[in-house]
Amino acid sequence: MDYQQSERTYDFDVVRWFSIMAIVYLVVGTAVGLLIAAQLAWPVLNFDSQYLSFGRLRPLHTNAVIFAFGGCTLMATSFYSVQRTCGAALWSSKMAWFTFWGWNLVIVLAVITLPLGLTQAKEYAELEWPIDILIAVVWLSYLFNFVMTIAKRKSSHIYVSNWFFLAMLVMITYLHVVNSLAVPVSLFKSYSIFSGVQDAMIQWWYGHNAVGFYLTAGFLGIMYYFVPKQANRPIYSYRLSVIHFWALTFGYVWLGAHHLQYTALPDWTGSLGAAISLAMIIPSWGGAVNGMMTLSGAWDKLRTDYVLRFLIASLAFYAMSTFEGPVMSLKTVNALSHYTDWTIGHVHSGALGWVLMVAVGAIYHLVTRLWNTEMYSTKLVNMHFWLTTIGACIYIVAMWVSGIMQGLMWRAYDDYGTLAYTFAESVEAMHPYYALRVVGGAFVVLGAITMLYNVVMTVRKASAEGRVGESGTAPASA
Amino acid sequence: MTDETNAYDAADTGHVWDDNLRELTNPPPRWWTIAFHASWIFVVIYGILYPMWPTFSGYTKGVIGWTSIGEYKESVAQLEEIRGPFEAKIAQLEPAAILADRELANYTDASVKVLFGDRCAPCHGAGGQGNPGYPVLADDVWLYGGTADKIVESIVNGRQGMMPPHASRFSDQQLDDLATHVAGLADGKEHEAGKVLYTGAGACFACHGMDGKGNQALGAPNLTDRVWRFDGSLEGIRHTIAYGVNAPGVPETRNAVMPAFADQLDETEIKKLAVYVHRLGGGQ
Repeated sequence: MDYQQSERTYDFDVVRWFSIMAIVYLVVGTAVGLLIAAQLAWPVLNFDSQYLSFGRLRPLHTNAVIFAFGGCTLMATSFYSVQRTCGAALWSSKMAWFTFWGWNLVIVLAVITLPLGLTQAKEYAELEWPIDILIAVVWLSYLFNFVMTIAKRKSSHIYVSNWFFLAMLVMITYLHVVNSLAVPVSLFKSYSIFSGVQDAMIQWWYGHNAVGFYLTAGFLGIMYYFVPKQANRPIYSYRLSVIHFWALTFGYVWLGAHHLQYTALPDWTGSLGAAISLAMIIPSWGGAVNGMMTLSGAWDKLRTDYVLRFLIASLAFYAMSTFEGPVMSLKTVNALSHYTDWTIGHVHSGALGWVLMVAVGAIYHLVTRLWNTEMYSTKLVNMHFWLTTIGACIYIVAMWVSGIMQGLMWRAYDDYGTLAYTFAESVEAMHPYYALRVVGGAFVVLGAITMLYNVVMTVRKASAEGRVGESGTAPASA
Repeated sequence: MTDETNAYDAADTGHVWDDNLRELTNPPPRWWTIAFHASWIFVVIYGILYPMWPTFSGYTKGVIGWTSIGEYKESVAQLEEIRGPFEAKIAQLEPAAILADRELANYTDASVKVLFGDRCAPCHGAGGQGNPGYPVLADDVWLYGGTADKIVESIVNGRQGMMPPHASRFSDQQLDDLATHVAGLADGKEHEAGKVLYTGAGACFACHGMDGKGNQALGAPNLTDRVWRFDGSLEGIRHTIAYGVNAPGVPETRNAVMPAFADQLDETEIKKLAVYVHRLGGGQ
């Protein structure tokens, strides 16, 4: 199907806007991350202002990268690929626009309320109850539109990327609603209906599955559409995709308790979480294997196709962090790694290596298709690739060293059987690695800015040449 | 459908989406399938070894008998074996006696170092080197006395000195004179008008002594030793004289509060801290 035909058939305007906003939020979210990383290294950067303090900005960073950047990316890629793989336009264009404006309203409200200190104090679910309700309504509009688009599909079977998007849509609804159940006492304050150890368990059941379904299943959906599309190769194994899909879907929800080992949570829950975590390595790798083996016979494309490079590098990071996570959930390792920077390093190997890179690869692909043109500069795409790869590696290695050192210092005993280090000494020892993390983060932010510039120039070029829309002329290279 | 893009022998499933998306009928790699089954076997074995499955009346305990509280108690017991004999002795002894026993004093240093780092170092510095506005613990200058017992007293009850402000009573000229006199004491330089105030209307001598050497019973510092609790410049000294220390209702006053730790630390911890502080270098 050529460009004009697909513009006539499908509903891409809302996808274009989601794509642009995803890039904007990537810049904003990583920039806030860079600032708070610098605050940890140089506390003077809190500027003695409660609104700019680490405690207020950290949830802003996580919300911006996960829900603003991640959310817009998921909505752009899923609304795009569900149409193309179903051969049908979105069930409701109006509803998709409602999702767009609603989601952006949520983000604006987060930007206002979090620095003001209005929070439910639940990690990755900080937003207060009125915003939680808005999220639920907007998310359900996304879910409903997606399901109805699949229902009117022209193909007999549902393509694999849509299974993963669906799993995410259903599970995130469930997770968000249950974890956010709260008793409001005023417009800006509520109390969770769970308390104590039950609250902790529900929180991490939510928290880990925000990772498992939002950042893994959803982004595997992206992988399953954009890798074979960009490489122009068939998916390696249908059976593998079925098995690892169901294994992940049934297995992931058990893992939350591995965040709470050696706490008041009963031992059996922690063991169960850890054991199932270990059993998730192979199903997780199923996605990485399927993506990489899809490239068989096309590995040479990595030399010239920078977008494919992002996608494949993301799978390598994905395979690494889905191995690292389960290992960290083992009791012996967890006793060392828990509460240290190793956890932060692990999260970012997933976030920067996997989520960011697969998202960025998909968005570059989207931009060329949606604006019917080549990128303004492929050199800048390549530069973005290396900035992100190097930045992510610096970040991860700095946090590995810092985290393991921290864990070892906290548990070190001298000959008298007494603690060898004060807490402040461990903080002091972290400083060089905190500074190094700022360097790694700066690379990532610089890459994001490069992308924003490159995409803006591409869109301007395409508009100037009249390539966009149903009357758009085919690109010279097509 | 041309198959030039398919590097495998396997055919596709017969479905095509979006012009060119297909899935091949390859089985998963053999190593993957084996590892996949091994994963579930691992879960079963882990569940036999460790507490893992909820039951109607509790949960399965696991055959190796592991519990997190058991692991904790075991680790603590290993340490207690080393610490026990030292702790038993320390409980019986006064700080001065602990200081006299070199081995015991070394143990005390090691065992209370973290407590000092967490509770004392934020103001007094990691090595007791002091901070602007907070006294040095590592020198031999003491406001309230540097014997172990006095240090215990300081920790237990805290300290809050009081020096009255003089700004409302003295003219600018008088404040300048007095400050100049005090600043010169260490060098034996006296300022005529200042000295009159010091020994007369200012009543400074009442606490700091005629010779300016202070009085530990009152926590009044020695003014002749070049060690300054607050800013020791002429301007700084003038400020202290003008606004006093911990003077109620005077916003510019110097704040100097050592909190009382009697409710926060137990007797042994305080005893150990006194020994630790005493051994920082300046104990008397």
